[in-house]
Amino acid sequence: MRLSELTKPVQDHAYAFLDEASKRELRRKILKGICIPGYQVPYASREVPMARGWGTGGLQVTLTLVAPHSTVKVIDQGADDSVNAANIRRFIARVAAAKTTTDACEATLIQSRHRIPEERLLEGQVLILQVPEPEPLRGVETSSAAAAELHADADYGMMWLKLYEQMVRYKRIIQGASYPVLVGNRYIMSPSPIPRWDVPMLHQAAHLTILSAGREKRLYCVPPYTEVRPLEFDDVPYQIENVDGMVCFRTGATHKFMNELPQEDGSSLFELSDSGYGEKILTETPLGETYYDSEGRFYHDGYLRQ
Amino acid sequence: MMATSVNDLILEPPRLVKHTPLLTVTNINKQYGQVIALEEVNVELYPREVLGVVGESGSGKSTLLRMLNLEENPDSGAYHLEIPSYQDQNLFELSRFERRQLRVKQIGIVYQNPHLGLRMRNSSSGNVAERLVVAGERNFSRLRAAAKRSLEVSEFPVTRMDDPPKNLSGGMQQRVQLAKAIALKPALLLLDEPTTGLDVSVQALVLDTLRRLQRDLGIAMLVVSHDLGVIRTLSDRVMVMRHGRVVEQGLTDQVLEDPQHPYTQQLVHAKL
Amino acid sequence: MAYVAARGGEQAILEAENLYRELLGTLSLERVKIIEETMPYLIDRVMGEASIYAPELAALAIAQTGGELYESVLLLRAYRSTQPRLAYAAPLEQDDLKTVRRVSAAFKDIPGGQVLGPTLDYSHRVLRMEVLRGETVTHQTKAAPQASPSSFPALAAWQRQAGLLPEIQADQTVPSEIPDVTREPLLFPVSRAHKLQSLARGDTGGILALGYANMRGYGAVHPTINEVRLAYAEVLLTHPSTGVQFSAGQVRVSSSEIVTNFAGNPQDPRLELGFSATLGWNEVKTIAASMLDLSMERSGHPSQTPEFVLYHTEPVEASGFCIHFKLPHYVTFQSSLEAMRDVKGKGHREKVKEESAVALEEAML
Repeated sequence: MRLSELTKPVQDHAYAFLDEASKRELRRKILKGICIPGYQVPYASREVPMARGWGTGGLQVTLTLVAPHSTVKVIDQGADDSVNAANIRRFIARVAAAKTTTDACEATLIQSRHRIPEERLLEGQVLILQVPEPEPLRGVETSSAAAAELHADADYGMMWLKLYEQMVRYKRIIQGASYPVLVGNRYIMSPSPIPRWDVPMLHQAAHLTILSAGREKRLYCVPPYTEVRPLEFDDVPYQIENVDGMVCFRTGATHKFMNELPQEDGSSLFELSDSGYGEKILTETPLGETYYDSEGRFYHDGYLRQ
Repeated sequence: MMATSVNDLILEPPRLVKHTPLLTVTNINKQYGQVIALEEVNVELYPREVLGVVGESGSGKSTLLRMLNLEENPDSGAYHLEIPSYQDQNLFELSRFERRQLRVKQIGIVYQNPHLGLRMRNSSSGNVAERLVVAGERNFSRLRAAAKRSLEVSEFPVTRMDDPPKNLSGGMQQRVQLAKAIALKPALLLLDEPTTGLDVSVQALVLDTLRRLQRDLGIAMLVVSHDLGVIRTLSDRVMVMRHGRVVEQGLTDQVLEDPQHPYTQQLVHAKL
Repeated sequence: MAYVAARGGEQAILEAENLYRELLGTLSLERVKIIEETMPYLIDRVMGEASIYAPELAALAIAQTGGELYESVLLLRAYRSTQPRLAYAAPLEQDDLKTVRRVSAAFKDIPGGQVLGPTLDYSHRVLRMEVLRGETVTHQTKAAPQASPSSFPALAAWQRQAGLLPEIQADQTVPSEIPDVTREPLLFPVSRAHKLQSLARGDTGGILALGYANMRGYGAVHPTINEVRLAYAEVLLTHPSTGVQFSAGQVRVSSSEIVTNFAGNPQDPRLELGFSATLGWNEVKTIAASMLDLSMERSGHPSQTPEFVLYHTEPVEASGFCIHFKLPHYVTFQSSLEAMRDVKGKGHREKVKEESAVALEEAML
């Protein structure tokens, strides 16, 4: 008997690339994150065959959760055909033999950079957001160790001070994407650089959201049906991006988050940011319910104040 | 009841009002390596009273202040404040979180060095507002109005309320610290050399504000200073410290006009 | 259909990669072998930053990327992270190393002697133009009259004996229990194991920049090189069933120790020591890293703060984040733009509003 007969043939990598030890660590850290909503759980964050900052955090979570029966959707800035999304999707399909889709309603795992799909995600679906900077306090506290203490003490005065200063200076809160939220009435969390339009979608959501920063080696979760509130003053309501009057030039859709396309004549055209949703409209595929209706009303009544 | 064993010149503190003290510190001891910073120090402070603490650097007065502000614990001793829900509680035993709560709502402090008390790059009004936010205020108009009011009471020019402290003079910075300290009407106001380093004329104005504030708000204050002029202007009672011990205390006029302890005599004469 | 036609992304990225590879030319074993044989110091640098000792793989990584070093390091790291940790090598003392070069700046001569070994330190940095004219250049050293010893005692050991350095207790942690920064997140305050490991796999350029900042004036210390070594280290493993120790081979390592002016207790002043070691022969990195090891015991300038130094000298993270800004950011940009336009548009609307706001504030007072 030869040694080679006793062993399995050499494989270039394990199923879904990561070895079992890495996957086990991630599963444990994800469970911890689900137990403590909004809390940043440090994890080892292995190198994967993609550059740091290009979605390695999200990718590690996806590779840990993916199975041969999964259906995976990958988007970047809302688009399935963005080059980096295409690249990640190609990699996942290659190492995990999972089905891929552009339809948010069909996907079991959605890895996304900077957007949440317009169609409401349902129970059982998992949204994995890529996070460049997991620490919402970074702007007011550069040291990670000091920021961790502030979280432990729920000492968030400096965050409010930052919003106060914006109000004094600009008469409105000028935070664009990455708008800080309070999760489960305990931790301030960065929702990743999704636009303000998307932030309410995390509140009392039916799906699980896992946010993962590969370079910074932190992950955190918003479990289904968790309170997620943007930081706002009682008398200064949180403002989503104004999309009034914007009509998608491809689909005619309104009251969805739009990409602005500057035209040579100085004007702008608009198109749906969520390319999968746009594709469904064009191919007349039945649409799922959306977070914002065609009048721009958010599905949780009263969550967005005027 | 005071540390009579240390020096028999220590007199029973005169009771201005028949009242329970607002602040009671008993038998604090603190040692850093071989150095004794505080030895058997006792302090009582009555409602609406101003207590001065004098002594040269190294006398332990700043260490005492840090402990009263709950920044640091002694090796032994107890600290009580007579305020609702904290009676019978040795404050040195509070958790880190409870301390922060107590400090935000009940203890104001003005440091000699404004960098310790202020965020120099944020607006002055924001510095004051932060304290209110930490206490739970979430209404922007109310925050702004309260910050403005607190700055006004501290005689800070409201036209400059949104300037950052780094662009302000030393006297104005102290007024911002003061506004922040009193924003929530604390039970106790600690002043650590509040006017040291300011021009004499500015010093007089700040002292004036402090006196008026004390009269109007009736906050109990503890002033630490090496400057007998400041102590004389502000305090009802004075405590003289040396080498970590209280060597003499009494009514300010009495101690400064007729010092008993040789060290106090030396201090008073040096001043003259 | 327009929407689907816009879906050129996948094809485009494949072709872009093809173009890069086409311009590099054919990859072959021969090319890999030439790199491995002719560029040992480049291989060492890449292996050190990748924290994997595999000259052949390093040469392949360099060949595959055309010498784009951050990409080479990432390739090796990504390979390394899929490999299980099978065994733990026995710890080595400095005198266990087969040292080929060991110099000290602290003393004229030291126990065991100064051994120059292979170095360019005293070379004239002149381009050998004759090679371009077709001549070949070879060098032959003369054998020394006597063979040098195969191991050298650590200078620090002598200094400890002489009471110049503080006594230390040997760390008894068993190898399998030593924290491993490749398998655990780097957290602060940082353990010494993680600190030394992070420096060992740090970016050569980054480590040099921050080490230099400390040497030049941001550090409180004037360094003296206690000793710098290039050596071969035996990787000693214990057989899992027989318990017998055996050698799995040799790896090239460099190490450096730096001492500073005495500090501490005035009654009993001692020197302070900074240490670093890395896979491969990379003197400049290990000297700069030992400087940082020493400086990080202090605090002050960011270049002395472990969080600042260790986060920002991590080659894969730093380079990845830097190039990620090439990715589209139009959603975040749109979101800020919307807020800015609103503030801009408010300018004239605000005049009316401001009056009412002032009135409100007055009313509240």
